[in-house]
Amino acid sequence: MMLGEPIRKVCVIGSGTMGAGIAAQVANAGIPVLLLDIVPRDGANNGGDRDAIAKGAVAKMLKTDPAPFMSKRAAKLVETGNIDDHLGRVAECDWVVEAIVERLDIKQSLYEKLEAVKKPGTAVSSNTSTIPLANLVEGRSEQFKRDFLITHFFNPPRYMRLLEIVTGPDTDADLARRVEDFSDRALGKRIVHAKDTPGFIANRIGTYWLAVAVNAAMDQGITVEEADQIGGSPMGVPRTGIFGLIDLVGVDLMPLLSASLSSTLPKGDPYFETVRDMPLVEKMIAEGYTGRKGKGGFYRLDKSGGKKTKQSLDLATGEYRAEQKPEKLPGKAEKDLAALVTVPGKVGDYAWTILGHVLSYSAKLVGEAADDVVAIDDAMKLGYNWKFGPFELIDRLGPGKLAERLAAEGRPVPALLKSSGTNPFYRIENGQRQYLSADGTYRDVRRAEGVVLLEDIKRASQPLLKTGSAALWDVGDGVAAIEFTGKMNALDEEVIKLINQAIPLVKASFKALIVYNEGTNFSAGANLGLAMFAVNIAAWSEIEKLIAGGQTAFKALKYAPFPVVSAPAGLALGGGCEICLNSDAIQAHAETYIGLVECGVGLVPGWGGNGEMLDRAAKAKMMPKGPMPALSKVFQTISTATVAKSAAEAQELLFLRETDGITMNRDRLLADAKAKALSLVDGYAPPEPPTFRLAGESGRVGINGAVRDFQKKGMATAYDGVVSDRLAEVLTGGEADIIDTVTEDQLLRLERKAFLASTKDPRTQARVEAMLMTGKPLRN
Amino acid sequence: MTDVVIAGYARSPFHLATKGALARVRPDDLAAQVIRGLLEKTKVDPAEIEDIILGCAFPEGGQGLNVARLIGLLADLPLSVGGMTVNRFCGSSMSAIHIAVGQIAIGAGEAFICAGLESMSRIPMGGYNPMPSPELMKKRPGAYMGMGETAENVAQKYQITRAQQEALAVDSQHKAAAARAAGKLTEEIIPIQTKGGVVSEDGTIRGETTVEALAGLKPAFDKDGTVTAGTSSPLTDGASAVLVTSAAFAAKHGLTVLAKIKSVGVSGCAPETMGLGPIEASRKALARAGISVDDLDVVEINEAFASQAIACIRDLGLKDETINIDGGALAIGHPLGATGARIVGKAASLLAREGGRYALATQCIGGGQGIATVLERA
Repeated sequence: MMLGEPIRKVCVIGSGTMGAGIAAQVANAGIPVLLLDIVPRDGANNGGDRDAIAKGAVAKMLKTDPAPFMSKRAAKLVETGNIDDHLGRVAECDWVVEAIVERLDIKQSLYEKLEAVKKPGTAVSSNTSTIPLANLVEGRSEQFKRDFLITHFFNPPRYMRLLEIVTGPDTDADLARRVEDFSDRALGKRIVHAKDTPGFIANRIGTYWLAVAVNAAMDQGITVEEADQIGGSPMGVPRTGIFGLIDLVGVDLMPLLSASLSSTLPKGDPYFETVRDMPLVEKMIAEGYTGRKGKGGFYRLDKSGGKKTKQSLDLATGEYRAEQKPEKLPGKAEKDLAALVTVPGKVGDYAWTILGHVLSYSAKLVGEAADDVVAIDDAMKLGYNWKFGPFELIDRLGPGKLAERLAAEGRPVPALLKSSGTNPFYRIENGQRQYLSADGTYRDVRRAEGVVLLEDIKRASQPLLKTGSAALWDVGDGVAAIEFTGKMNALDEEVIKLINQAIPLVKASFKALIVYNEGTNFSAGANLGLAMFAVNIAAWSEIEKLIAGGQTAFKALKYAPFPVVSAPAGLALGGGCEICLNSDAIQAHAETYIGLVECGVGLVPGWGGNGEMLDRAAKAKMMPKGPMPALSKVFQTISTATVAKSAAEAQELLFLRETDGITMNRDRLLADAKAKALSLVDGYAPPEPPTFRLAGESGRVGINGAVRDFQKKGMATAYDGVVSDRLAEVLTGGEADIIDTVTEDQLLRLERKAFLASTKDPRTQARVEAMLMTGKPLRN
Repeated sequence: MTDVVIAGYARSPFHLATKGALARVRPDDLAAQVIRGLLEKTKVDPAEIEDIILGCAFPEGGQGLNVARLIGLLADLPLSVGGMTVNRFCGSSMSAIHIAVGQIAIGAGEAFICAGLESMSRIPMGGYNPMPSPELMKKRPGAYMGMGETAENVAQKYQITRAQQEALAVDSQHKAAAARAAGKLTEEIIPIQTKGGVVSEDGTIRGETTVEALAGLKPAFDKDGTVTAGTSSPLTDGASAVLVTSAAFAAKHGLTVLAKIKSVGVSGCAPETMGLGPIEASRKALARAGISVDDLDVVEINEAFASQAIACIRDLGLKDETINIDGGALAIGHPLGATGARIVGKAASLLAREGGRYALATQCIGGGQGIATVLERA
């Protein structure tokens, strides 16, 4: 691989969960990948197919949920083969990822064979989670050592954003940078540099954390529910907490991780203090209670007696019992770590046991496993989905407090905590976030090259405009950005107000506008709670105002004299989808789940979504001629409230145009959206309003016939039929005849009429209320 | 009337739409290959052919325009051979034969290729742009009713149980599988060249199916209904063709005559129970032939759905041993426009193969019709 050359083809060896998942993510990035595994030992049972193992892995992935592949197109980029017949084909590849069984001798023997066939300069990396790099390259040539590094992915590779990279003393820096750059931009990973130590960063701390928390629960008489409550959300740990997480990853993984770390960690590592016999865990594994993949784990669903009841394992007796919901944490303990660890009794004791151990262990690892606190925090946040990294937790506990209490208890205080004293690990200086380095000085937290985050911009500047639910920011290079700020980034009149204020401002002082935010979800759509309030007091004119106001604002964005680019990530539903559809272009994060879901709550899209989808469908390649095919496609997508499961699928469903962009790395979405917007600036002219040839009443009759068939089959409810008819009336142009030209404004009027009719219908109101109360659709 | 005969029959293998081996074959190409095959098989001089009359239920896209003419050109027939596309939905290619009979009777030609075609993979049932009349939809919604629902209506009206439908389906599958195993289908099938290789066998037949397997399927059209995917003919890709000539022409050119066309009939019925169409159509044709059901030795009745086939068999009083001897559409498939020519050609070849004197080929038609042809052994 020459300097600056892109990676055009990847070979993944080993088609287990990790190898196959890595191959899928490479394919998701549009890069062809060769997936090799061994020839099955019982070849005859597979009809003599020597590629059966790798083929089977791909077939299994096509049925896995959550899906490793982002689209069917991606799956076609994976070519399967076997090591005996096809290893020579690594010569076609620019990067070889080894993800075979965790055994040094087997890995070494594979590398020996690889060395004979690969081109010098082709990167080889191992996905090992435990074996030191120095051991892996033993006996290999200087060239091989230059080409070798460790790339440690997390499971599942599509969804987990962390990639730990370990380079050796001989690794070629340019080669490592190219692998990193590809992993960052194409595979969407955030790179954390780890040192060549056992378990690297995330798993080393994570395994220690789980061991401490499980032991302490058993020692201190804490139930699994209490452990997950105390060790969960107050510490910024995902809802699964401790025992829920073990159930999720597999109870049987615990002894394996323990054995692997015990065999490689240096003597005297605090991890050894956590290692003990676990008769309960051994019994669980022996009886098949391996977690969610088995009969259950620390939690299970008991189906005896005909109904499902949630049960938990009693850690003292080893028997299942009915789930016991723990009492609410007292006072500020839920939000305030300092308060949590000082709650008298077992709650405070348990919280302190976990934090005292895990945070001081993390502090000890700075310098040993990672260069700085930022790497450790990033690893835990991205690899274990913690909301805060260990050093952010130390700051939340109160700078100096951790060392103080450790010392008071006569426990060793890691050098880093001693030297940091009462200085926080993070501070903001002139709007720049800084971290405390090991030498006691503060250094800027640097983003990867080219990464722009609104988070950083907001820290260093004031919004240009602000309303109750949105803000406008200057994101540099003449680009302004609308950020939603309400709960779930819901859209309401405050967002509309901001759009209306932003347009003249952007026109006067900026080149382009983007719609972007850094919430988990771009937007869950219009604020249904507010709409329901208006319905309850029969404020129909207010509802009409909201709908008309949204239509006007979105169309004002569309026809503004500057380019508008929406950049969704996560959910972009209902109105959140419609603002994207009304933009000149979309730059979507690969993990964007976009859809017009209004019909699910008995409504129809009301902010221009219908026309935008009809226009996209009419102009889509391969769409047969005539008024019905585009209409049928759009009707099917909207009436069934279809949500794309990736940006690639959103393209297949026509939410995204072929010319819209997809960004694999969430951190690069803002920069890519800006670039997209700026690319449209030269010679920009607002789009011509589309006109439509619609099927009119005949089309509506045809669609209703199809819906009736679905109702007969039991796939649509009676009210689904009513809502579908309202949608069909809009999509077919109402009274329009096939020879008429329907304008965008006419379609918007129809849309408003259908939306209002729906809100007035008590069956829609029941659906909305159910959604607000339970979060689940009502099928009335 | 001038005697008219069936002097040859051929068809493509039939394959499941979308997932079958013919899904990627253009329909015009498929029919052209079958017609070329028929010409080679019968050794008729193509220059003697007056016209290609081709039935197709949804003549759009790759089977659109006047596809009969295009197929003639694709098949390298002499430019003098005409081409006409006929639509009577499922009865299209049987109508093509009837038209040829009429043309020959009035002296408007002596040799016709009567063909049928449907790619249900490439052209959706209902076509790309269905635009029903709102007025008719109000007046007579059954005119646009889905075929599955009409099958449920027939089952209900005739009190045909799910088990009875499944018994017929299994019987049809077993007969088709046995016929194939005995090589009895090879004769009629023209191997089709595709990008994926030559396809020479049907891909639809499920000889291993059992009553138990079918009993496990969910109703396909009505959650409370009795009709399943197993008791409905599958969506199918296929083409078929017969050579229809005057008896004199056949004799003069030394063609092998399979059967003589004795009479034909068409009859409308209620669209909501379109599956009953064969009853009146068959009665008309039998009366015109001056024979009764008891005189029939071979019956090809299209199994669009098991329920409608059973209802027709019951009402007409057809004899079990005469019915769909090599299996019916439940097993072999039902490429809409191609079925009529298949069952007439099949009935003619069965008369030749099995002996006996009279045969009936009949089928139901969406929208509420039936069509029938009575043959007599040559």
